[in-house]
Amino acid sequence: MLFKIEHLVHQYSDGTLALDDVSLEFNHGDRIALLGTNGSGKTTLLNHLNGILKPTSGTICYENKPLGYSSKALLDLRRHVGFVFQDPNDQLFAPTVKQDVAFGPLNLGLPQEQVKKIVADALQTVDMADFAEKPPHFLSLGQKKRVALAGVLAMQPEVIIMDEPTSNLDPRATSEILHLLLQLNKEKNITLLLATHDVDMVPLFANKLFILKKGKLMSEGKPKELFSNTELIRDVYLRSPRIAHLFEVLKKENGIPISDEYPLTISEARKEILRLLETAKK
Amino acid sequence: MSHSDLYAEVDRSAYTNAIAKSSPITKTFFALSTLAICVFAPTFVPTFIVPIIVFILCTILILGVAKVKLRLYLNLLIYPTIMAAISCIFLALFFGTGDPIAQFSLPWTTWSIYKSGILTSVITFFRVEGALSCLFFLILTTSITDLSLILRRVHVPKVLLEISLLIYRYIFVFLEVAEQMTIAQLMRLGKGGWMKRIRGFALLAGNLFIRSLEQAERTFTAMNARGYDGPIYVLEDFPKSNKLMLIVIVLFNVLFALVVYMLYLTNFGVL
Repeated sequence: MLFKIEHLVHQYSDGTLALDDVSLEFNHGDRIALLGTNGSGKTTLLNHLNGILKPTSGTICYENKPLGYSSKALLDLRRHVGFVFQDPNDQLFAPTVKQDVAFGPLNLGLPQEQVKKIVADALQTVDMADFAEKPPHFLSLGQKKRVALAGVLAMQPEVIIMDEPTSNLDPRATSEILHLLLQLNKEKNITLLLATHDVDMVPLFANKLFILKKGKLMSEGKPKELFSNTELIRDVYLRSPRIAHLFEVLKKENGIPISDEYPLTISEARKEILRLLETAKK
Repeated sequence: MSHSDLYAEVDRSAYTNAIAKSSPITKTFFALSTLAICVFAPTFVPTFIVPIIVFILCTILILGVAKVKLRLYLNLLIYPTIMAAISCIFLALFFGTGDPIAQFSLPWTTWSIYKSGILTSVITFFRVEGALSCLFFLILTTSITDLSLILRRVHVPKVLLEISLLIYRYIFVFLEVAEQMTIAQLMRLGKGGWMKRIRGFALLAGNLFIRSLEQAERTFTAMNARGYDGPIYVLEDFPKSNKLMLIVIVLFNVLFALVVYMLYLTNFGVL
């Protein structure tokens, strides 16, 4: 297992119990969505995975070894587990895009020449090479997000953790980021862990779903299974993707014989509709 | 142009002007050596045109070569020019030695105006303008990033540099936040009276301070997440200095300084 979390509890110093006995695990190459409402503990959980927060109790194992919190162990962990923050302004602190992307690899102690090449590659990957010399305040939010991602990619991580990767982005920037992430997962086998409450986006990338509610892990499984369980979804104050909702209504209100697992994406819906039309003809 | 716009425009110009990509060493060297000549040229009659030449030269470079917008340059020049003009008027009216060219009797004293005072004030004014144009050449054509690399090379303490670069980056974040807060205030309070405005400004300043503390915390966390532990390392990616250009500038300025010095030695037309 890449990550194995057992009985993780985190209590903030003001007494808030942000995580309450969370146990979960995931493997190399997984595409995971961590779903939950605001204040459900998503960010707190993510912050544990690269050592920003320390568990109050419980254990976290990365590649079967418990996390260490010495500065050397943390540096080692953080080169493998990249973290992209929700607000790119928190992350982009350097005067130019290039210097910002170079920050991580330079901290790893790599030589200048090698860092230059890594930076150029990372910016190429996120399609921001033309902006290398620009200061971050010249960029749009979507561009800043991509630069923040490049800053993490430059450390050549095995896992990329993103907190709300598509919040406040326009539809086009959203789909660009998603495509980029899927491509990284496919080509470099980078494990993705995205925290979100954008339920329509989840079926587009995730093959595994964790649902949090008030610091507790409510459920885990494949998106299709979980989203078909409408009671569960309502219980955690979320909703199904629009398409699944439509099919649910069609089934319950109109009695149309739709399969038990509701389609979640446009392509799945198309298949289901065609299947229904076929059976109707016969 | 409001002040925050002016900052943003200067910053934009530093990154996007026509000579943004040429060597910062060359540009800095030119600006500083020309500034030195402008400031140190002796104040005798033939040499007082030195600052004027410097001003014209830098203005041509800024507007013609670097292609900075005239409007921006004038906007930058106007405030210090007004300041300099006011100071120089006082200099002309109340300073100087020798025979007065005009005298007024006042009940408590005699007010004299001197030729040397007027000359000093005119020369000082041009000197200020010349020096300003040198500095504007530097800040309008050279980005903070490039300047910081130069400062790093001349061993300015790293802590100072790191802090100033962080400040530079977050000025723009907070300008935006402040702007949004101001708009939000205007939307709810309207323009209000004088006291209301002061109160609004105080609230804004207080809020901004809290925001900056939070931002510092989050940025620190984000830096930690990328392996920060002490110094901020930077990529030493320096635009190559154009040797020929540098030599031309050195020769030109040495010659310029020599001519000024010769004129000073010949001493014709001493005040």
